[in-house]
Amino acid sequence: MHLSRRGLLRAGLATTAAAALGGTTAGCSVPSGSTGRDMTLWYWTGGLSDKVVAKATSRFTDVDLKPVQIGGYFRSKLLTTMAGRAYVPDITGLKGEDMASYLPDADQFVDLRTLGADKLKDQYLTWKWEQGATPDGRLIGFPIDTGPVVHFYRADVFDKAGLPTEPADVAKEMDTWENYFAAGDRLRKKIPGAFLLIDGLAVFENVINQGTQRYVDEDRHFIGDQEHVRRAWALSLEADRRGLLSDIVSGTPDGNAALEKGLLPSQIGASWAAGDLKLNVPKTKGKWRAAAMPGGYANNGGSFLAITKTCREPEQAFEIITWLLNPDNQTRGFVDASLFPSTPASFEQKAMREPDPFFGGQVTIDVIGPAAEKIPVAYNSPYDVALGQPIKDELKNVTALGKNPDRAWRDAMNKCRRIADHLGVS
Amino acid sequence: MATAPTAPVIETPGPAVTGAGAIRPKPRSILGYWRLYLAISPFYLLFLCFGLIPVGFSLYLSFHRWDGLGHMEYAGLSQYRYLLGDAQFWHSISNTLIIWAIATLPMLFIALVAAVMLNSAVRFKSVYRFAYFLPNVTSVVAIAIIFGSIFSTNFGLVNAVLQGLGLDQIAWLNTPWGIKVAIASLMTWQWTGYNAIIFLAGLQTIPGELYEAARVDGAGPVQTFFRVTVPLMRPVILFTLVVSTVTGLQSFSEPQVLLQTTSNTSTFAGGPDNAGQTMVLYFFQQTFDNNDFGYGAAIAWGIFLIVGIFSIINWRLVQRREK
Repeated sequence: MHLSRRGLLRAGLATTAAAALGGTTAGCSVPSGSTGRDMTLWYWTGGLSDKVVAKATSRFTDVDLKPVQIGGYFRSKLLTTMAGRAYVPDITGLKGEDMASYLPDADQFVDLRTLGADKLKDQYLTWKWEQGATPDGRLIGFPIDTGPVVHFYRADVFDKAGLPTEPADVAKEMDTWENYFAAGDRLRKKIPGAFLLIDGLAVFENVINQGTQRYVDEDRHFIGDQEHVRRAWALSLEADRRGLLSDIVSGTPDGNAALEKGLLPSQIGASWAAGDLKLNVPKTKGKWRAAAMPGGYANNGGSFLAITKTCREPEQAFEIITWLLNPDNQTRGFVDASLFPSTPASFEQKAMREPDPFFGGQVTIDVIGPAAEKIPVAYNSPYDVALGQPIKDELKNVTALGKNPDRAWRDAMNKCRRIADHLGVS
Repeated sequence: MATAPTAPVIETPGPAVTGAGAIRPKPRSILGYWRLYLAISPFYLLFLCFGLIPVGFSLYLSFHRWDGLGHMEYAGLSQYRYLLGDAQFWHSISNTLIIWAIATLPMLFIALVAAVMLNSAVRFKSVYRFAYFLPNVTSVVAIAIIFGSIFSTNFGLVNAVLQGLGLDQIAWLNTPWGIKVAIASLMTWQWTGYNAIIFLAGLQTIPGELYEAARVDGAGPVQTFFRVTVPLMRPVILFTLVVSTVTGLQSFSEPQVLLQTTSNTSTFAGGPDNAGQTMVLYFFQQTFDNNDFGYGAAIAWGIFLIVGIFSIINWRLVQRREK
């Protein structure tokens, strides 16, 4: 095609005119939500089973269900769209770690109790259900998946170290953090170069997640200086003092090499971490097992679906999300996308009871399922992220840089008080 | 030799151009030029939409408290007061400046040397030019993943070399200085080629006679480089310095991707001692991790001020040299 200067100019003018026209006309008629028969559903890659979503689009014919996979930083895109009040999705995924920060703005979403959600409550894990609800009981998040934390370990390495190898025995012998560290001491003695855990945060985060409180309570009081946090801090330092923590940076070749060589034979991770192991160290297939974690039960991750207030047909949307997330489809979600179900009924289904060759033929649901049901109901504050970070930063300074622990704790508390004051937390 | 004329590189506009004798077109009203204004309008319209309005909004936002979704609450100057006393913000400024310095100085020097080599008659010139420019158009995310491997402690390339030389391993991504060096070397690698291409363009404006004269005077290649090339290239070097300052002070993706796995569970924390937390990274942490949008906006204006100060310093430098 020949491009003349005049032609280019003309094209430029046409584009400008179109943009200007579009701008003025759109200015008075940008729809706040979907239009026509459309019902948009926002989720992220791997957030739902694509097959189940595809089935939903053909099953629900009263509306045109438009699933959209949003790439990049999901939360900021959702916030921008909702703040802009334009093209807001009817149904949207909410990530578990962001859930607490959506709850103060529950009025932006439909209270699912008004659509009859309470009838379904029995089918879902209680602690998960409560995570999607505000303190005054409004339900905005409907449970997708969960991340029960368990103890993944290398049976071959444990055997060499003289530690128990059967999941039940491992769970029994390493039932508390103290006993787990004692096993770590034996591991360190028998296997040169091996470490129990990758870093201090692997202890700290899991101990915090096992509790029912975090850094801020329901009355907006800072509680990060209380016993439950001090205990997590002390346990992390104890592991560090005993030399059980590696200085490996996770995600680098060092981490994977250590996993493969059996120098990091113990991983306290959420159910989805099994997928990471399979992906990163495929050669260790058959050597891993899963057991209950030491010191209690914890959750890490897992998401929700919500209906925004711009949705024009909430009843229809509710029907769609409850179908997408019923026990049968949660089982499919587990098979297709490794989403661990929030519906205990799924744990009994055949597709979830397949022996896993990566775990030496173990039926891992026998460990993860009961763990999922014992997770405590915890309060998550929208200010937890801001007020937990200084403590984790300082813990890193102690374990990685050898900072004096007392000074680090004091510094963390000083930072927290300042941030709390700024955020209106007392 | 030391006072070589700078005229070939910089054209100073003389007063003669707009002299009395110049033919002027008849003055036309702005409306008379509507076609031309229309032709350049797309940029300005887009800039208004996606540049100026958000900038204005962020200023408005910095006087409020907002979680990104609910109601905005007027906060007066409190966000700025908090910013001034925020040790972590000051820490992020020093991180940024240190990383910028470690990255930029070697980068400009290597780029100049590379440009001189490219400028001399070698075969496959365009292949080299392409190769030098390639890092600049490669995704930062991909580069950072590779650099994460290069700087890993036990199996990293850098430590393999150190050990080959009989030196100790360094836990690059686990120590404050190691983190800064890793980020800086990533930036150096990415931007050296870009600056080399700009230098090359500058070099090609230096007349060959000057080099011939230097050769006749008995100057070697090193002497020629420092006595002829560098002085004549000063304006171009200052230009690249300005560009590197503006980009370097806003570094974000490099530390974010490089340190996301080490970063104390927040991808914006910057590793031990927050050593890799640049100003923009801190801005992101406050805004998107903590949902403190008002404070985030105040930080953004703090960054604006700092970049502004450095731009003024640079501009003054250029002005003085040109006198």
